[in-house]
Amino acid sequence: MILSVRDLSIGFRRIGGDLPAVDKISFDVREGETFVIIGESGSGKSLTGMSIAGLQPATSVTSGSIRFKERELLNRPDAELRRMRGREIGLIYQDPLGSLNPVWPVGDQIAEALRAHGLASGAAAARRAVEMLDRVRIPDPARVATAYPHEISGGMRQRAMIAMALIAGPSLLIADEPTTALDVTIKAQMLELLAELQREMALTIILITHDMGVVAEVADRILVMYAGRVAEIGDADAIMRTPSHPYTAALMTSAMISEAEPKQQLNAIVGVAPGLGSFPDGCHFHPRCPLAQDDCRSFVPPLRRLGDVALACHHPVGSDTALMAEA
Amino acid sequence: MEPLLTLDGIVKTFTQKRGGKRDVQAVAGVSLTVGRGETVGLVGESGCGKSTLARLALKLIEPTAGRIVFDGEDITARHGRAMLPVRRRMQAVFQDPLASLNSRMTIAEILREPFDTHGIKLGAALQPRIRELLSFVGMENTDTTKLPPQFSGGQLQRIAIARALALEPDIIVADEPTSALDPSIQAQIVNLLLFIQRQRQISYVIISHDLDVIGHVADRIAVMYLGTIIEQGPAAAIMGSPWHPYTQALLSAAPTLAARRNPEWKRIVLTGDPPNPANVPTGCRFHPRCHLARDVCRQVEPPLRPSEDGGRLIACHLAPEETAEKGRWIGQARLGMPAAATA
Amino acid sequence: MSAVLPTARPRRSRPRGVLAPVALLVIVILIAFALVPGLIAPDSPVALNMADRLKPPSFAHLFGTDEGGRDIFSRVVFGTRYSLGVAIAIVFASALFGVVYGAVSGMARGSADNVMMRIVDLFFGFPALVLALAVAASIGRGLGSVALSLTIIWWPGYARLVRGEVLRLRERPHVEAARALGVSNLTILRRHILPFVAQEVNVRVTTDIGYALVAVTALSFLGLGANSPTPEWGLLIRDSRPYFGSAWWYLVFPGTMIMLTATAFSLIGDSLAARRGG
Repeated sequence: MILSVRDLSIGFRRIGGDLPAVDKISFDVREGETFVIIGESGSGKSLTGMSIAGLQPATSVTSGSIRFKERELLNRPDAELRRMRGREIGLIYQDPLGSLNPVWPVGDQIAEALRAHGLASGAAAARRAVEMLDRVRIPDPARVATAYPHEISGGMRQRAMIAMALIAGPSLLIADEPTTALDVTIKAQMLELLAELQREMALTIILITHDMGVVAEVADRILVMYAGRVAEIGDADAIMRTPSHPYTAALMTSAMISEAEPKQQLNAIVGVAPGLGSFPDGCHFHPRCPLAQDDCRSFVPPLRRLGDVALACHHPVGSDTALMAEA
Repeated sequence: MEPLLTLDGIVKTFTQKRGGKRDVQAVAGVSLTVGRGETVGLVGESGCGKSTLARLALKLIEPTAGRIVFDGEDITARHGRAMLPVRRRMQAVFQDPLASLNSRMTIAEILREPFDTHGIKLGAALQPRIRELLSFVGMENTDTTKLPPQFSGGQLQRIAIARALALEPDIIVADEPTSALDPSIQAQIVNLLLFIQRQRQISYVIISHDLDVIGHVADRIAVMYLGTIIEQGPAAAIMGSPWHPYTQALLSAAPTLAARRNPEWKRIVLTGDPPNPANVPTGCRFHPRCHLARDVCRQVEPPLRPSEDGGRLIACHLAPEETAEKGRWIGQARLGMPAAATA
Repeated sequence: MSAVLPTARPRRSRPRGVLAPVALLVIVILIAFALVPGLIAPDSPVALNMADRLKPPSFAHLFGTDEGGRDIFSRVVFGTRYSLGVAIAIVFASALFGVVYGAVSGMARGSADNVMMRIVDLFFGFPALVLALAVAASIGRGLGSVALSLTIIWWPGYARLVRGEVLRLRERPHVEAARALGVSNLTILRRHILPFVAQEVNVRVTTDIGYALVAVTALSFLGLGANSPTPEWGLLIRDSRPYFGSAWWYLVFPGTMIMLTATAFSLIGDSLAARRGG
């Protein structure tokens, strides 16, 4: 187990009571796997990912525990977390232009990660930056290293950002929506690259996304989040083959437009996800759930095992038939 | 099918001022017809000119060359007030619903603007009409005194669609109508667009980079690359057996979930960066990224020509002889079906 | 010179929480000075009283007295109306004209826009002092000619600001959506663009009042503005010069008022800017 999250809660401080955004979630990430956190806006997936890197917003309050390689990360001093970021935990974001400094050559920015951690300096750092650009399959890396971010294409910037995240040799890479802003053909290149780097560098990857297609392609295990809670967690194949939580099932339907009869109505769930501060009682998903019953409205479903997965649902999809099979 | 909107040889050149003046051809001679009640899907990646084409069709920008014909009338040279009757029948929906609605106007003000603009005085019937529009798009019991930031993206896109429907148009041009939305909301909006078409028999031009959405809603698909259409035909033909190597790459980049989890499935990964309209290659525009490219592709630009069976238009020197089989295979593999033949 | 020109503003940090309310209080007091000086000032600002010449500050004369025995506090209170009033008039007139000009230019685009902006450049580059001298020479010295010459060099700032905002906003999707609907240019400007420009302009107007005040008093100090015995602040400082060695209060209190007023408007402008957000 490289990462263990227990009862992680994240709230935003407001006059008259904190607004809960993430509510007591727990999960483990295994060494070398690709662990995907999937959810829609407001699900708390990015907050969760950022808090692992110690980058939750300053206005938030967190409780619980995040243990990375047996060390507690939550509420540690900033300086300590800064030492870990880059060195042990790498980060990539959705928008590469926003995370690169526009007035600094790309190579220098990548080398800076080495210098900041005292791993190399001067010419050695610059040389390793060029090597790293080569490893992320940038053609002519020596030239790109001297270019400014605006002089290279979007796909190259994305690669440069990956190079920056990985140059100090982290074992865990957190990728927040790394493909969302990309065109399909570039997205495909990026997913291939991440998979190759994972093999070459023995990386554990936590990928945060709302795109089921990405999940299908790379995930070993999935955590489905809805309105700040775990809906379903477990083996990716098992969940994608037979989603048990009605929300996961709905996400799958949205992702399977290509399998629907053309021009026919899709099996969409109604309504919209609740915003911060307006989470309903009971199961957060119940107002949109086609299977909701009275208990869903008043009681929070506990996370329980069901085969290869754990899910938080009183009435999972196909549970009637499952019970009959048991009997 | 009776043509409603015809784009004929449309060219749009922008003058780029940064880094020395030069002309960039965003749309390089596109012809496209949308029939009454038909949905035309326009796919392509960023920089292919699909959004520029949408803005040209809506007459938000002027074409450098070419003709735009709406319901038999040439509207290329129409401006201002002369465009009003056309605008009334041709409406638009944009990608980011929050940005496309004025955040200082209430929902009621937003929805009455079409009527005010076209001098339609409803008087006491206005509020019931607004309610009716909202309930048609699934937004019953909306507080119309609220401002756009108080709604979610999906709700705002419904409001934007209600605004587009207010004048009962014959055609709606929708530029990435689902791209900014969460997946569970995307399906709702796709359903709404299909529902509206069934109720009102209107035409759509739907622009998207999302092949799944286009494949589901469109009758006909046009694939754009670097300002030109490189393949066009009935949705079933394009999705089922794409001929152009670029269409094949696009489709193979977005397979079904089942295909993606199949370890035997291999996608075509295009090498190189997306094309830059400021730097158009000679010959076939796609040749630098095409694994089939040969000398003729590097030298001669292939025209968009009808296929022999008349089923589609294709701009590739090698299609269908060298591409059709692979296309069929991709079409099937994409759906997770056993591949009939190997590529 | 530089004090007279509305030059680029230095980068200022965000005001601390307590400063904005204090600045607001200062402005409320200044407005009271300007509106009802008679109720606040203990003495007449102009009546001479030679017996009390150049008295230092005391309870009877908070800011001391000048060479004519006049209460400097009273002169400052009555002067608010001139100094601040003219500054506000300059900024409002500039904003009004600049907004209309910039909006028309931004909506017109193309060659009309080009010509209109070259005209703005012409005014922008004009040296304020030379212009003030020329205006004073043609219509006579006085606050009127100060107001006129400063407005002439001030409005182009608004024209540029508004034109830039209009050009930026007209590319916004909601404006594009309105155009697709067929909404006329005038309505687009009024309903879909100007409400979003207003915030920018409000911030600029508030901050500019402080700068305009400094400019007005500077021109008066140079002898191009108000005529004695008008208690205009810049003129007070001009009149104080011979007595600087012997009567420090004569210079210090009007000077402090100018600084305090300019700072207060600048702070309020900053907090407006901070609150404006997107």
